[in-house]
Amino acid sequence: MKIKLKLFLGFFTLVLMLALAGAYSIIEFTRISTSVNAILEDNYQSIQATKDMLEAIEREDSGILLLLMGNFREGRHTISLSDSIFRRSLDIARNNLTEENEQQYVTNIESYYTRYRSIIEYPIVNTSRQGNIEWYETEVYPLFQDLKKAIHTLMDLNQTSMYREAMMLKEKSKRAIMPGIVAIGAGIVFTLIFNIFINYYLVSPIKRLVRSIRNYKRGTVFGADIETNDELKELENSIRDLTSKI
Amino acid sequence: MRIPLIIRHIGGILLFTSLFLFIALIFSLIDRDGTSLIFLYCTILCLIFGLFPMIFVPTSTLAINIREGIAIVVAGWFVVCLFGSLPYLLWGGEFSLVNAWFESVSGYTTTGSSILNDVEGLPRSLLFWRSSTHWIGGLGVILFTLIILPGKDSSKFVLVSTELSEIARQNFRESSKRTLHILFFVYLCLTLAETILLKVCGMSLFDAVNHAFATIATGGFSTRNLSISHFNSIRIETVIMLFMVLSGINFGLLFGTVTLQNRNIFTSSIVRWFILVLFTGIMLVTASLYASGYGSLWHSLRYASFQVLSLGTTTGFATTDTGNWPVFTQLILIYFTLQCACIGSTSGGLKFDRIIIFFKSLNKQLRLIRHPKAAVVCKLENRPVSEQLENQTLVFTVLYLLIILISTLALTVMDVDLMTSFSGVTATIGNVGPGFGEVSSLSNYSGLPAGAKILLSLDMLIGRLEIFNILIFFSLKNF
Repeated sequence: MKIKLKLFLGFFTLVLMLALAGAYSIIEFTRISTSVNAILEDNYQSIQATKDMLEAIEREDSGILLLLMGNFREGRHTISLSDSIFRRSLDIARNNLTEENEQQYVTNIESYYTRYRSIIEYPIVNTSRQGNIEWYETEVYPLFQDLKKAIHTLMDLNQTSMYREAMMLKEKSKRAIMPGIVAIGAGIVFTLIFNIFINYYLVSPIKRLVRSIRNYKRGTVFGADIETNDELKELENSIRDLTSKI
Repeated sequence: MRIPLIIRHIGGILLFTSLFLFIALIFSLIDRDGTSLIFLYCTILCLIFGLFPMIFVPTSTLAINIREGIAIVVAGWFVVCLFGSLPYLLWGGEFSLVNAWFESVSGYTTTGSSILNDVEGLPRSLLFWRSSTHWIGGLGVILFTLIILPGKDSSKFVLVSTELSEIARQNFRESSKRTLHILFFVYLCLTLAETILLKVCGMSLFDAVNHAFATIATGGFSTRNLSISHFNSIRIETVIMLFMVLSGINFGLLFGTVTLQNRNIFTSSIVRWFILVLFTGIMLVTASLYASGYGSLWHSLRYASFQVLSLGTTTGFATTDTGNWPVFTQLILIYFTLQCACIGSTSGGLKFDRIIIFFKSLNKQLRLIRHPKAAVVCKLENRPVSEQLENQTLVFTVLYLLIILISTLALTVMDVDLMTSFSGVTATIGNVGPGFGEVSSLSNYSGLPAGAKILLSLDMLIGRLEIFNILIFFSLKNF
């Protein structure tokens, strides 16, 4: 093999190693980006929706208490406002089903909320329910707690998934860095090996050729013992031919 | 010392390694387990480092001398362990830099000590790679390469002489090339036979192949967290016990038995002694377990025989946690960890033949004291053992014990308890795998400090490469 090709292969291999590591890292970073999207879009949105739902039903509960106290206008206004927030958040959760069994959890919330709403649909102010704490404690409050629990379950599901994704993200970032580290290590070792080969099969033979020519001038027979079958061998043969003709 | 030539030979080893990485790549592509990129990257790296020296180093200069042979063998093992750790390192998870190196060295040296808490959490491709390192290392990385890749016969002779000990070579009495083919033939036949039998006994094909790789290489990596106890099958345990014993015997003798030669396992005094010692061990451990109320006699015999054969052949599989066994049985098992199996098998460590030579030499010395002018010859398998081999064996034994002592001391400095340190060092230098204490049969080495893991991985390499090769390598002056 010719020297030019050998040198080209050496440098090409170095470039290839770097390119490989780069490509590998790009793929891993793309995977990280997908994971970040998964965390942000899938889990974070659902968690935010459940938080909004919790806040909405807390306010709705306050609205019921206002009605119990006989404050009709403010009570109904609070309930109506919270109801629209709750339904909007529930829609977000319903359209963002990313985890196994998430559909079931959302259906549970919907079912509890329908029951909760059915209780407070009837008038409270100026009826026997006004000021009736016992009615609130036996019928409204348990349902309110069940609904909260159902929302919390959905929140936990998404938080656990988010944590898992975050852990995977940590792992993926480690994986993305590792090919680079391996490539640096491999590149250093390869450069050393390449250097040894260049020294052994290119530099040393040239030195031997020069030494042999000098020795020839002092009267010894020319011979540089070139092992490789390349231009240096051809050069040695040419010089030998030349010296034999002199 | 011609370093380019050494690099070229090590390149050949890496080319061979890339073949198994490629098989693991196929596994990962079939399973789509997310390791395809890892194996592709590692295969290409191995190919680059394997092929590049072939371009530069001319074939006319391939003949090597003994010193170069030693350098190729020792450096080759280190390099192959380094490349073998790359798939683990790139996978991440429980594999830190030190853990990946430890697992790779443990695989190639057929030690079977693991840092993994959750083996079943690994994808199949990585499990296959893990078992492959056992199978490659079992026969010897260098020998395998010599079988597969072409090379000069003179170089093969030097490398076979370096990789195989003198006592092992005596059992072959063949040319280096034929010795290699016999070794490979026996190795392949045993692996195929065990795979088929384990499949018949109810293992899945994947588990059967992996466990056959680990048994025949006397390694001990399992695809299950609970090792062989996962299967809870007497038939599987019996098959594995049979093949553990066969893999612990000199392959030359196994070949002699199959080809009906005079030198076979039935005529070999070493094999007789080896079986007798194992049998005695099983009886003692069974009696100790039964007496301590471990269970019925059958129950005690079942677990005692598996554990004694597992440690006595340096395999390291487990059917129970021996860490809870009585101290007496633990000491017997530690003896087996020290003794190891026969030379010429896939086991590492001190090896049983050296213990026989040691006692024969002791007997010779005692007779010489009684009769100073007597011509006493130490014989092994009816052949005289040379004074040089006798001395080498004695020096080797002393050095082996000295390394155990120094390594144990070093581990205790790192705050590892005495039992874990001593048994861990004995198990790793003997290429056995499980020890006692923190590193008992169903535990692992993950809890040890990083320094301890590095030291133990060096012990594994010392045990696999034999001490003299390592000493010569590090005392080479002409680098």
